Amino acid sequence: MKNKIKKLPLKRITRIYLEDKIRQQSDELETRGGQLKKGADREKLAHEQIRIQTKAIESTLDGIFILDAKESGFPVVYANPSFFTLTGYSKSEVIGKSYFSLYGFDTNKSISEEIQQALREGKSFHGEMLRFKKNGEKFWSFLRIAPVRDSKGAITHYVGIKTDTTLMKKRDSEIEEQREELLHVTRVGKLAEFVSSLAHEISQPLTAILSYAQAAQRMFKDKEPKLQEILQYIINDNQRATEVIRRLRVLLKKSKPKFESLNINTLINDTVALILPQITSNNKVIHFELDSNLPMIYGDRIQLQQVLLNLISNSLEAMEQSSDSRELSVKSFLKDSQTVMVQVRDSGCGIPEENMKKLFTHFFTSKPDGLGMGLSISRSIVEAHGGHLEAENNVDGGATFNFSLPISIKENV
Amino acid sequence: MSPTGSMVYVVDDDVSVCRALRLLLKSHGFRAETFTSAEGFLGFKHPKIPSCLILDIRLPNINGFALQEIMCQRGIVTPIIFITGHGNIPMTVRAMKAGAIDFLSKPFTAKDLLQSIALALTRSQVQNKKQAEIAKIKKCISTLSPRELEVFHLVARGMLNKQIASKRGTALQTIKVHRGRVMQKMQTRTVTELIRLAQKAGITSTLD
Repeated sequence: MKNKIKKLPLKRITRIYLEDKIRQQSDELETRGGQLKKGADREKLAHEQIRIQTKAIESTLDGIFILDAKESGFPVVYANPSFFTLTGYSKSEVIGKSYFSLYGFDTNKSISEEIQQALREGKSFHGEMLRFKKNGEKFWSFLRIAPVRDSKGAITHYVGIKTDTTLMKKRDSEIEEQREELLHVTRVGKLAEFVSSLAHEISQPLTAILSYAQAAQRMFKDKEPKLQEILQYIINDNQRATEVIRRLRVLLKKSKPKFESLNINTLINDTVALILPQITSNNKVIHFELDSNLPMIYGDRIQLQQVLLNLISNSLEAMEQSSDSRELSVKSFLKDSQTVMVQVRDSGCGIPEENMKKLFTHFFTSKPDGLGMGLSISRSIVEAHGGHLEAENNVDGGATFNFSLPISIKENV
Repeated sequence: MSPTGSMVYVVDDDVSVCRALRLLLKSHGFRAETFTSAEGFLGFKHPKIPSCLILDIRLPNINGFALQEIMCQRGIVTPIIFITGHGNIPMTVRAMKAGAIDFLSKPFTAKDLLQSIALALTRSQVQNKKQAEIAKIKKCISTLSPRELEVFHLVARGMLNKQIASKRGTALQTIKVHRGRVMQKMQTRTVTELIRLAQKAGITSTLD
């Protein structure tokens, strides 16, 4: 290169130099321009991402807010529209104000303090609480707050999400109430049946005792006054015992069934909803095969729910031991033009052959803590409805319970 | 009615209840037979004296209601007093509709039981008398010749001799002879009495 320069005239050298310089510069410009363009693209992309994220945050139904962690009252620096809807406060009442000033007097103080404590310690917070909107309306809020850190790891902000769980809570408590009602009726029914059976068992010896005493009284008539007196005491106490039983029976008299036209599938779904947690919590699977074209049946809702609940709970218990298959199936179908059938089938341990005959009798149970009333009550309920309840073992393991119910004549004509 | 000339049956699956009731009944001078199953009662040869049955509803195999039905089918007219430790209104209605004398809840007093037994035995006596009478009439009927039986049926329907003669295409005199023999064999003197016997024997006659 040096040689070349020496040989060439200055003018030419200058031109080459300048040309070279220009080329360099234009190259540089081009690169710079490219870089500039790339930067603009990148910026555009970043803007787009921010736009999408903002839109997402703004359109979600959860209330989302950001607090400034460096200021002492944790002022709100951002809140999405759902937050305003949820709390009932306007943007100007929220932004820049301490988050905790939004906790009205009604809200449990200790919760507000618990959250502040967590934030001061730089921890996150999870919890469900009863909150009040600006207008005093109650709502259940499921709150999650987590710290946001800068590149050096210092907490700059807190981001919070609150979800209105009022409806979920309401649905849960409705289910809980229904379950309680059913359990209560079942308990009362079991007790009534228990007392009734007990009364029958006791009335046998009482009958014998009374007759023995009265026979003896007659045999020693006008003789042995002392013996007569004792016999009378026996008779009196016998009557006392009889009276106790009679009163118990009156007390536990089963409430009159309320018969109405019912959709059996709705009844099945409602009943399963009551014990769904029990099913899913133990890795059990429930299948439905409900014929949607079934005619209405005529019966007492609570009593029939009792039968279903009893059969399903039995099936669940029967499957407690089996490890591999835990499948429960509930089926409804039309047996003939007058009869609807319901089938509860499990893949549990099945019923030992020797128990089959006693299955529906009072006080018979194969469970260590069972009363032996469930199936006998279920059968008497089904029979009072004009149907039949039968049990059988499946060829491939487990047991199946079938019950029939006559269709409602009133509704289906 | 004298207790000794009658029989009280007890069917209850509880041995002690059976024994106690037998003692109680005997203390009141009744003849009593107890059974712990419906089958036992049905297998027993009943003497032809007024009787009643004290019957528990809950029994193994054949329950009280089923036994009541079987008795009805077999023409055993022994009146029934149901006893149960588990009675309810529908059960009572069902039992009474099927002709039971009473429905006693366990435990029952001797007084209540004896009252029902007295009622049942009176009904049984009436029924026995009626049955004996019907048996006697049927026996008389069995001695009639086919031609006499036919005349008997027609008379029972209220037909006059002349009508019978024309219907059968027989001489009036022949009919008179047949009828005379029917009266003799049925041990009656008047036509009215003959018709009454026919009704008792269940002959309302539709011989066409």
